Amino acid sequence: MSTSLRPYLQCVRSSLSAALAISNFASQTSERHNVPEIEAASSPELLLNPLVISRNSDERTFIEPSVNSVRVSLKVKQADEIEHILVHKFARFLTQRADAFLILRRKPVEGYDISFLITNFHTEAMLKHKIVDFVIEFMEEVDKEISEMKLFLNARARFVAESFLTPFD
Amino acid sequence: MLLLDYHNVLIHSLLTERFSGSTPVSIDQIVSDFDGVTFHLSTPESKTKILISIQVKCFRELVQYGAQQVLEREYGPYIVDPEPGYDFSVLIDLENLPAEQEAKNDLIMRLALMKRNAMAAPFERAFDEFAKLSEEASRYTTESAPQGVKEGGEVMAIHYREEEAIYIKASHDRVTVIFSTVFREETDRIFGKVFLQEFVDARRRVLTLQNAPQVLFRNDPPLELAGVPGLQNVNDGTLSYVTFVLFPRHLTPQRRYENISHIQIFRDYFHYHIKASKAYIHTRMRKRTADFLQVLNRARPENEERERKTASGRTFRVQG
Repeated sequence: MSTSLRPYLQCVRSSLSAALAISNFASQTSERHNVPEIEAASSPELLLNPLVISRNSDERTFIEPSVNSVRVSLKVKQADEIEHILVHKFARFLTQRADAFLILRRKPVEGYDISFLITNFHTEAMLKHKIVDFVIEFMEEVDKEISEMKLFLNARARFVAESFLTPFD
Repeated sequence: MLLLDYHNVLIHSLLTERFSGSTPVSIDQIVSDFDGVTFHLSTPESKTKILISIQVKCFRELVQYGAQQVLEREYGPYIVDPEPGYDFSVLIDLENLPAEQEAKNDLIMRLALMKRNAMAAPFERAFDEFAKLSEEASRYTTESAPQGVKEGGEVMAIHYREEEAIYIKASHDRVTVIFSTVFREETDRIFGKVFLQEFVDARRRVLTLQNAPQVLFRNDPPLELAGVPGLQNVNDGTLSYVTFVLFPRHLTPQRRYENISHIQIFRDYFHYHIKASKAYIHTRMRKRTADFLQVLNRARPENEERERKTASGRTFRVQG
């Protein structure tokens, strides 16, 4: 793990753990409704200060806490065209399976690649520290996966080109 | 399977079976090949007479560049009038095959290579033209060369697909083959760029490939194509031009057959590997997603809802 990644992840981990102090909170505006306040944004008093944690200019995490839900958005590093398309494909792949992922938001927050929406119902049904573990592991793995796929693509292209040109000799 | 075959495997296996002396059956089969080429194998008259027809999108252009002669050379005695809706037909009489197994195999292979042979005509013509031009050019020094020799022959265009074409141009010291290729989507475009860059770099990087043709690629029409009608100059990156420069060592009569087959397969090979990479990356993402799900499932506490029993084996029942 590179030197700047560890403090970055550590920071996200502590901020997220702190933000996940959420409790059941029924809607104030409509009776018998109970919605994630961060999405509904029905009243400013229910929203807490949002927080951006940046590792560098193109890698950051955006945490938006509220009284009964937290929204976490990730921006994954995209150094070039290939990484951009791979991140895009991967994010699309995951969001199409958002049902299985429970905490995954179907549409990322603008300016980010992928978002999670954690409500009090999730923290009640699942272990809170494990949810945080999941987000952290996700961040680690996505970077690794993208760079591995990029390496694979380059290696394959190289091999393919050489095999095609060899018979001309 | 890294390199694609030059011949049509289905025709090859079908004919091998028929030629092996099994009882004749009637055939009526449509076989598709790359680049929208369609074959029709049928037995219209009797079960022993197989009619093989081929339909190529750009057959008229190919005839213009001498395809008829090439096909006559390859299939001479078997040629019949083309079947309606097709461009070229041969009729094989199973009762009138060459006797030796070797000659039979050769005939099967030649028939399976029908698409290759039809497409080879402009290449052969360019190679011949190169031989003529280089002979002419050898009589002049650089200074005294007349214009015609320097500029080389005309550009032969083969519009073998809807939007894609091969352009071939002979000069006195090389033959230039230019493929124009279209990328349907953004991912293909970027993957294509990675692949093409490796094609360009391969020659420089690998010592054993020093003798391979030079490869260049760009998004706007290369200068060789200046003045060729029907070129769209859409500069949105969907259209790429890949140039192969074949040097005299590739054009020798010994290497010629093999090299014509090989360069023809470029477009299919290239797109095939782009698709294969996409498929691989897809399976990889699928696997990674499953891993992530597992991590998330770890967050759920194990259910402690086992049935509880007393020491004597009696169970509790919830009072409803």
